[in-house]
Amino acid sequence: MRIGEIVESTSTHFVAESLDLGRPPELGRLVKVHLAEDRDLCAVVCHGETGSLDPGRRAVRRSTEEVYDDQVYREHPQLEHVLRTQFTSLAVGVIDKEVVHQGLPSQPPPLHYSVHGCDEEETTRFTQDLYYFRLLLGVPVRIPVELVLAGHLRWVYRGRGHDEEWLQVAAREVAKLLKQDYERLATVLYAIERDT
Amino acid sequence: MPLKLDLLGQRITEMVQASAAEDRGRWVERARQLLDSVGPEQLRAKLEERVVRLPWLVGIPDGGVNGAFEVQECPSSFSVVAADGSYIAPDRHSPFRFYVLNTGYAVLTYGRQPSAVLDSSAQLYFQEQDLYLDPLVRSAPVEGARLSAKMCLAEMRALLEAAERVEGRPLVALRDGSLITWGLQTEDPAFVQERFLTEFLTYLERFDALGIPLVSYISYPGARDVVNSLRVWLCTQGDMDCARCPSADVEQFCRALREIRDRELFGFLQDGERSDVFGSKSAILNRYGLHRIHFFYMNVGGEVVRLEAPQWVTGDSQTLRLVQALIYDQARRSAIHPPYPPALQEAHEEAFISGSDRRLVQLLVERSLAERGFVYSGSAKSGSKRRRGV
Repeated sequence: MRIGEIVESTSTHFVAESLDLGRPPELGRLVKVHLAEDRDLCAVVCHGETGSLDPGRRAVRRSTEEVYDDQVYREHPQLEHVLRTQFTSLAVGVIDKEVVHQGLPSQPPPLHYSVHGCDEEETTRFTQDLYYFRLLLGVPVRIPVELVLAGHLRWVYRGRGHDEEWLQVAAREVAKLLKQDYERLATVLYAIERDT
Repeated sequence: MPLKLDLLGQRITEMVQASAAEDRGRWVERARQLLDSVGPEQLRAKLEERVVRLPWLVGIPDGGVNGAFEVQECPSSFSVVAADGSYIAPDRHSPFRFYVLNTGYAVLTYGRQPSAVLDSSAQLYFQEQDLYLDPLVRSAPVEGARLSAKMCLAEMRALLEAAERVEGRPLVALRDGSLITWGLQTEDPAFVQERFLTEFLTYLERFDALGIPLVSYISYPGARDVVNSLRVWLCTQGDMDCARCPSADVEQFCRALREIRDRELFGFLQDGERSDVFGSKSAILNRYGLHRIHFFYMNVGGEVVRLEAPQWVTGDSQTLRLVQALIYDQARRSAIHPPYPPALQEAHEEAFISGSDRRLVQLLVERSLAERGFVYSGSAKSGSKRRRGV
């Protein structure tokens, strides 16, 4: 399922414009970019934002007493064309001929390539090994990375059919990685315990 | 170097003081009282029966002069189409003489199935017949008023093509600026008639045939047509010889009216109301035939704007009500204050050519030349502006 198109690409992450205005993929979701036959780049969504397409035009208030929320879009149909939703994803590995290689890709994905959501089978295959947590925790992103990781754990847990066993292994892995930083660890554990 | 603002400050103060006379409000009020006292039939007769050509443009009332017409309800579903344009003018410092016309349009549909279509189209003109009105002797280059006329035609074409693709009705077509092409009055009549007006009127005819009201929207209008009509009404002389005005009182009032604009005169209009309709006396309109342009003023909520339309729009009360309702609805949907129709705003955004895009076009030209072995470094003057070394 296509969910976006890459508009900015780097070695560590890429920014994609969402095909659905106002609905970027969930924080922590696993996505993929089809690079070649049997070769997909996998990435974790770490940020989403909706704003004006033109940096010189800021979004302004349009609601009234009678018109608000989704009605604003019905009353101003041009908004669908002058706003855009973007999301940023951190590259965490490649699935090459059904073999998972976790780590940064050797090259950034090409601009304008499509971003797809990973299905249950791909998610299960990629998340068998948890080495990629190191990548997630090591790359600077715009929101605290432990919140991205917590979102990812929640999403994978659901994506794997509420896999309690996987979640416990994942939580232990996070505890190992953040053993020197209790506050960040507590943030992750609290977030997954509350929601899962 | 920075502008020496201290040299301008005093002059700015003097300029503002000169225009913001304290008794201006009193004169505007007196002008409105005069408007209320005018007999429309007599004013029309006085304006039309004049044999001496008036030195200013006047507005001839279609009906009354001081009416204020409330806005009606909008239909449940409707569309507004708007077009605008922007150009890159020929540059003397460029290795080639060419110009670019960029048109943008917006189709906004409201009601049961809201939708929007926004798009633009660019065209580059470089052939002799595009660059000169008389390509054989290379005279009358397309620039200034002639380039504006070409832009106007491109906008009208874009507006018509966009309107033709809209299936839903009712539909109103909007343009920014005047439909009275007075800028061409000083141009060669052959060009005006054959190359510009023929095509321009074809578009008006097509809108008429399609039953799509065409309206131009003028924000912060500077026109004085109706005020000028009041000056004629005041005048007791046959030949409008202002230097020998026999009445000191009339002369003083007339001089004060000279400073007042129609938008101030119609400042009495309430939110959503429109004025009576007037016919323009611009000489170029004698060539418009059935599509003669009429105008009225309207308070769109924060501003009195001028709306111009062919007589087949303003002469039909039902169409006029629809236009008023849809224009007011556009103002209501505006995200800025004073309001501006979103359809026109989006069309403008589509048509706008940014500074970086202008530079990119020039770069493409230079790169294309380089691919053929020609290196163009630009004129020394344009280079000095681009590389401002010290």
